[in-house]
Amino acid sequence: MNQTATAGSHRQASGISILLGRGKHIIFWTILMVYGIFTLYPFFWLIVSAFKSNEDFYSHPFGLPAQWNVANFSQAWETAKLDTAFANSLIVSIGSLVLTLFIGALASFILARFQFRLKGAVFAFFVVGMLIPIHSTLVPLFILMKQISLLNTYWALILPYTAFALPTAIFVLSAYLMSFPREIEEASFIDGTGLWGLFFRIILPMSLPALSTVTILSFLHAWNDFSFALVFISKTSLKTLPLSIANFSDGYQTDYGLTLAAMVLSVLPTIILYLVFQEQVMKGMTAGAVKG
Amino acid sequence: MNAMSSRKFIMFGLAPALLIYGLFVFVPVVWSAYYGFFNWSGFGDKQYIGLANYAEIIQDSTFWRSLKNNIIFVLAAVFGQVPIALALAVILHKNTWMQRFLRSAIFLPMVMSTVVIGMVWQYIYHPQIGILNFLLDAIGLSGWKLNWLSDAGIAVYSLIPPLIWSFVGLYLIIFSSALQNIPGEIHDAAELDGAIGWRRLAYISLPIIWTTVQVAIILCISGSLKSFDLVYIMTRGGPAHATELLATYMYNSTFTSYRYGYGSAISTMIVLISLLLIGTSQWLTSRKSRSS
Repeated sequence: MNQTATAGSHRQASGISILLGRGKHIIFWTILMVYGIFTLYPFFWLIVSAFKSNEDFYSHPFGLPAQWNVANFSQAWETAKLDTAFANSLIVSIGSLVLTLFIGALASFILARFQFRLKGAVFAFFVVGMLIPIHSTLVPLFILMKQISLLNTYWALILPYTAFALPTAIFVLSAYLMSFPREIEEASFIDGTGLWGLFFRIILPMSLPALSTVTILSFLHAWNDFSFALVFISKTSLKTLPLSIANFSDGYQTDYGLTLAAMVLSVLPTIILYLVFQEQVMKGMTAGAVKG
Repeated sequence: MNAMSSRKFIMFGLAPALLIYGLFVFVPVVWSAYYGFFNWSGFGDKQYIGLANYAEIIQDSTFWRSLKNNIIFVLAAVFGQVPIALALAVILHKNTWMQRFLRSAIFLPMVMSTVVIGMVWQYIYHPQIGILNFLLDAIGLSGWKLNWLSDAGIAVYSLIPPLIWSFVGLYLIIFSSALQNIPGEIHDAAELDGAIGWRRLAYISLPIIWTTVQVAIILCISGSLKSFDLVYIMTRGGPAHATELLATYMYNSTFTSYRYGYGSAISTMIVLISLLLIGTSQWLTSRKSRSS
């Protein structure tokens, strides 16, 4: 870690001044400013407009509201029934996260540390899953869920979220576990720890960095998913946040401040988590994407 | 450890992952291929019709338009997202607070729900209250005002900026870390040989991170096939199927027209097409890297 940092700063000192030295400086800054505004303005607009009344929305489309309507938020929370939606999103996200972590880590432990016939085949079977486009399964999964009577239950979301998180989870975790030295098992067997003890007391704690990557990927995917919820859930009391927000905006299309306030409230938790764990989230998501 | 108990452990440990993944990822893919041979409204009897659904797909102009839109998205990602992300990664190489802030801001849409992103951009494009048209009015370009999302001729292109806006951060971080991993010595050596500025970028940095670019291109392709949420929220595939993607067309055929068999046949096509696209891109990029 330290090595790459020093190498990086060394390079910056020697090379970048030359790269930026000429008139390119101005071009770079122009590109950056334009892209910066393109990137930031939608966030700014979303947050600021959430405080506006409808008249403000028309008369001051760009600027700050004439009056900050904080009541938009409490009203949106009530009208959109965001408490139910938040609870549902938490249940399915945490449910699928716990399942993914446990069975993903267990399978990775076996794939990384044991020798058995068909090991390559099992691994390949999981890896192929990363190539299957998730939406191609919407129709057959709907039919399956209907046949096993899981439509309109939390399981209709928890199980597919887990299933689609497993390939990447197993890929990330088993790669990490393979780097452990052989002595770990030997030491634990001498201590008389069984395989389960080894898994719970040694393997799980040691793979925390990889588990946190899987946590970020799996939680964000479940929390933000729209398509599975759209297809498998039609009961209002079970709708997750993205689905509730989409339905709410259909119903309250002309009450802009209210809709935008509901949107802000729904993205606030992930944005706050992102601001706190920025480096980990960026690393985790890119690692997951590149390996996936 | 005796062989029997570790054998049991292997089977027991792999079972949950294999079961959930097999049932909710693999079985649906096989089933959609099977249901594709039937004429079925989702209720009552299925009627075996052989390859009739596939024959219909080949003659279905909406299917081809969806495929074309998918390809437009892939091209926009490969020739829009990747170069923009590379340029940003080269410009944003320092660790000043400004640059860190911009990197984080550009990445932020990655943790937000696509539903909210789609709704924000819907507001931006809104013909009456959208800030894009307000902006054009404000700078005296009222003649350029368009019905961004309801004009069949341009709607699909209007979806590209939000697409790039949401995902460019991922590629930026991937390229940034690849560039940072280039050892400083290589740059020093290049400098001694007179390779500086753009030449160094073209002849030293880019070739070194070319495998990362390859990975990014494959990610773009599989990612663009996943843009169901954004399109569903912003246009529902309309107006008049102008922005239909394969996934939204599959959804609409199944759940709007109640043609489960036809929808299943489209699902199967999505799997085949995405495997074909990923295979082709892998072949193309690996050929390019060999010849250079």
